[in-house]
Amino acid sequence: MLEEYARYIDKGILRELESLARDLKGIKVLHVNSTKLGGGVAEILHRLVPLMNELGIECHWEVIRGDEEFFRVTKKIHNLLHMPEGKPLSHEDILTYLRYTFENLSHVDTDPYDVVVVHDPQPMGLVIKRKKGQRWIWRCHIDVSSPDEETWKFLETFVNSYDAAIFHIPEFVREGVRIPTFVIPPSIDPLHDKNRELEDGFIKSVLERFSIDPERPIVLQVSRFDRLKDPFGVMEAYRIVKRRLDCQLVLAGSFASDDPEGEEVYREVLEARGDDPDIHILNLPPDSHLEINALQRSATVVVHKPIREGFGLVVSEGMWKGKPVVGSNIGGVRRQVIHGVTGYLVSSTEGAAFRIKQLLVDEDLRRRLGESARERVRHSFLIIRHLKDYLMVFHTLLKGG
Amino acid sequence: MEAELSFLAPFVYTFKAEVRSLVPLFQHLLSPFEVYHYYMPEFRFMSELWTAQYTGVKVSTLGSFLKALKEADDDTIYYHLYRNMFEYHFLPTDYWNSFSYWFAENGFPVLAEKFSALDLIECVCLADIREEMVRILEREGHSFDKICKPFYFIRAVRRTVDLGVVARDLNEFREGIKKVGIHSLFYHLVTSRLVHCSPVNDFSRWLMEIGEEKKAQEINRIDLISHSLYRLKDRILEILES
Repeated sequence: MLEEYARYIDKGILRELESLARDLKGIKVLHVNSTKLGGGVAEILHRLVPLMNELGIECHWEVIRGDEEFFRVTKKIHNLLHMPEGKPLSHEDILTYLRYTFENLSHVDTDPYDVVVVHDPQPMGLVIKRKKGQRWIWRCHIDVSSPDEETWKFLETFVNSYDAAIFHIPEFVREGVRIPTFVIPPSIDPLHDKNRELEDGFIKSVLERFSIDPERPIVLQVSRFDRLKDPFGVMEAYRIVKRRLDCQLVLAGSFASDDPEGEEVYREVLEARGDDPDIHILNLPPDSHLEINALQRSATVVVHKPIREGFGLVVSEGMWKGKPVVGSNIGGVRRQVIHGVTGYLVSSTEGAAFRIKQLLVDEDLRRRLGESARERVRHSFLIIRHLKDYLMVFHTLLKGG
Repeated sequence: MEAELSFLAPFVYTFKAEVRSLVPLFQHLLSPFEVYHYYMPEFRFMSELWTAQYTGVKVSTLGSFLKALKEADDDTIYYHLYRNMFEYHFLPTDYWNSFSYWFAENGFPVLAEKFSALDLIECVCLADIREEMVRILEREGHSFDKICKPFYFIRAVRRTVDLGVVARDLNEFREGIKKVGIHSLFYHLVTSRLVHCSPVNDFSRWLMEIGEEKKAQEINRIDLISHSLYRLKDRILEILES
């Protein structure tokens, strides 16, 4: 499988990876998370685990067990870490978390492994099983820089029992993390349906299906229907642009059936569209990877204008397709977009409108920024770089810094 | 027999001693070319891999930045100064290092320019460049207590890897350059010079050892800042093939 990536990356990288992996030969690695299906973590592990095995590192993946009650609590923990405004954890919540953690201690066998990588807060309590000589890593995929204090206090003891933590960006690290902390951004997979090359005919058929005119400029934001993604701000920016320039706006996303707020936001967005036939609101099933890919490839300008964001890999997805991205000047977005080089960073709706206009009227600028955007992703946000980062962390923890 | 081969002595310092010691025993079985070949100093192509570790040092004023800069370890200085060249070399970025971006973003355009103009290629020692940065800050800095967006000091965690590609003559060297990636070039042209505190890069040093002084000088003269690492690779191949 590694060979399939060779055409996307500098050819020396595979040789470097093989050399690094030779030093790690014989070690056994276990990844633990809470689901095999859905979500960015599972998506990346589906690919990373076989790639590590191909490099000669025995790598396995286990999923913790839990019922609806447990996952309700872990979802609450997730929200309280990410956005502290919410109902605090109750004693019952803590007991539920600990009870399932205890049950998972016997379900997930971590003993045979040299390195155990635990993803996100759901399985993090497993660290109490840590044996002498093992290296345990907590891979945190969310921003915990300003969490609910009580929730953080509860988890802090677990966190600092690990040998190391990995965060997407340093801004996401909570003060009080006392273990070595690596900074490793997430990545996209160029072979995934979301990102692989598509035939023109397929792209056209997708546009036809959604009644989008392929001959007119398309401004696209892909995000779930969530106020934090600011779909209303994007619509306002589009309306400012539309006063002077012809274009269509596509807001493509989804909401989970168990997410009442998502449905509410979706309805509000539909309402805010009014009777403008050039605003396309697409509520797509979560596995519409090829459709999203086609929309990104047909976009003239990709916009990603959240108010708060985990990392926003959708930015890299757009950039990989050679599109300049107009993105919010926050968190992970600003780590991906280089202002004026691969797109533009904006801090207001008016700023977004200004940059969208600039890009719509200047094909040469779009091409130049789009080419740089693709190169940026090729070097910094593909899964092979992610694989290298993991091996580097293993090497550092096992063989010394 | 060893004495007869003494004229090759300047070339043998990197040669593996155990293999070298066998050559005189079998010299009568080898052609003069083969003897020369085995006594040539070999060039081993290395490369380097990076990942990033947060040092836990986060500063929000120019004053605390200056203090952190004085105290940071070399791998931290190295990360912030050379990361652009290592990772963004193919992009026309505004500034050459993350320090400059932070200055620019927080209203210190002169510092941004001066830090960006630091000659990283002439630099053979990180301690010197750190001193220079401190001097610039102390001379040009102002509003040391103004609250800025945070700057996070990151350390480069580096590994040097042997790529298993070895050259003993110019032809093999050229083929080696073709085989290895851009990070290998970065290692031999930039990092290794800093490690050895040498004004001469690895490629040029080896070329001089095998008597290719003109090529060595030409490669050492290339402006590493003005080209992407891909372009540098092409340029080096042009020089080797000339």
